Amino acid sequence: MAEHPSDLRTPLGRVRFLGAARTGTTDAWFVHVTSIALIPLTVGFVWLILDLLRKDYNGVRAELARPIPAILLLAFILAGIVHMELGMRSIIVDYINGQSRAWALAANTLFAALLALACVYATLRIAFT
Amino acid sequence: MASSDALPGPRRPRPLSPHLSVYRLTMTMAMSIVHRITGAALYVGVLLLAWFLIAASADAATFAVFSGFIQSFIGRLMLFGFTWALFHHLIGGIRHIVWDSGYGLDAPLRDQMAWATLIGGFALTIVVWGVGYAVR
Repeated sequence: MAEHPSDLRTPLGRVRFLGAARTGTTDAWFVHVTSIALIPLTVGFVWLILDLLRKDYNGVRAELARPIPAILLLAFILAGIVHMELGMRSIIVDYINGQSRAWALAANTLFAALLALACVYATLRIAFT
Repeated sequence: MASSDALPGPRRPRPLSPHLSVYRLTMTMAMSIVHRITGAALYVGVLLLAWFLIAASADAATFAVFSGFIQSFIGRLMLFGFTWALFHHLIGGIRHIVWDSGYGLDAPLRDQMAWATLIGGFALTIVVWGVGYAVR
């Protein structure tokens, strides 16, 4: 924050009456929404993996080509990766300060986006080829 | 942060709220940090899922490499850890939703819920691995 040598107000005084943070709860909101989605999705995901354990390469592909397993997997991937991106974001802002915080936040978002794209692409490729 | 101190010399240390070393470790504190650790572990563990999906989307030889790894001792250990972290974080997340709704915050219940997270996470992991070995 910039220095204000001529400003006699306290830090609290400078920010009072500027209004609420407004979008400040967006991250927390989406952590909660995705966590609610992930309760049934995790149960379904574990069920699916237990089913896939018994199968070989062709069996796994045939199972993931069916609509319900494929959609379940896609929903788990998308909700899970948004959830973990937001979770890691809160870890980063708790423990990393200054310039490295910005790099860590960018790396987190880029990693999550790349992971989501790779997982979704692979799932669709299994489902449609 | 702008300093409002006109005095020269080193700044007085800012007041801190009571932190980790001030309090005796409680069950809810322990489960709070384990929730964060399991979350971070799952963040890395999702790479296993990505590897599985990419291998299954490729040819049978590529899938065999993944299959060989996940059936090795290290692979099983990682999958076991992933399973436990997943269930612990799942139950911990449900506990947080209950707390955020304003329920279960009283003294005996909040500790019981923290214990239930720990025990439930291990119990579900063992049950699922038992089923996994039974069906394969």
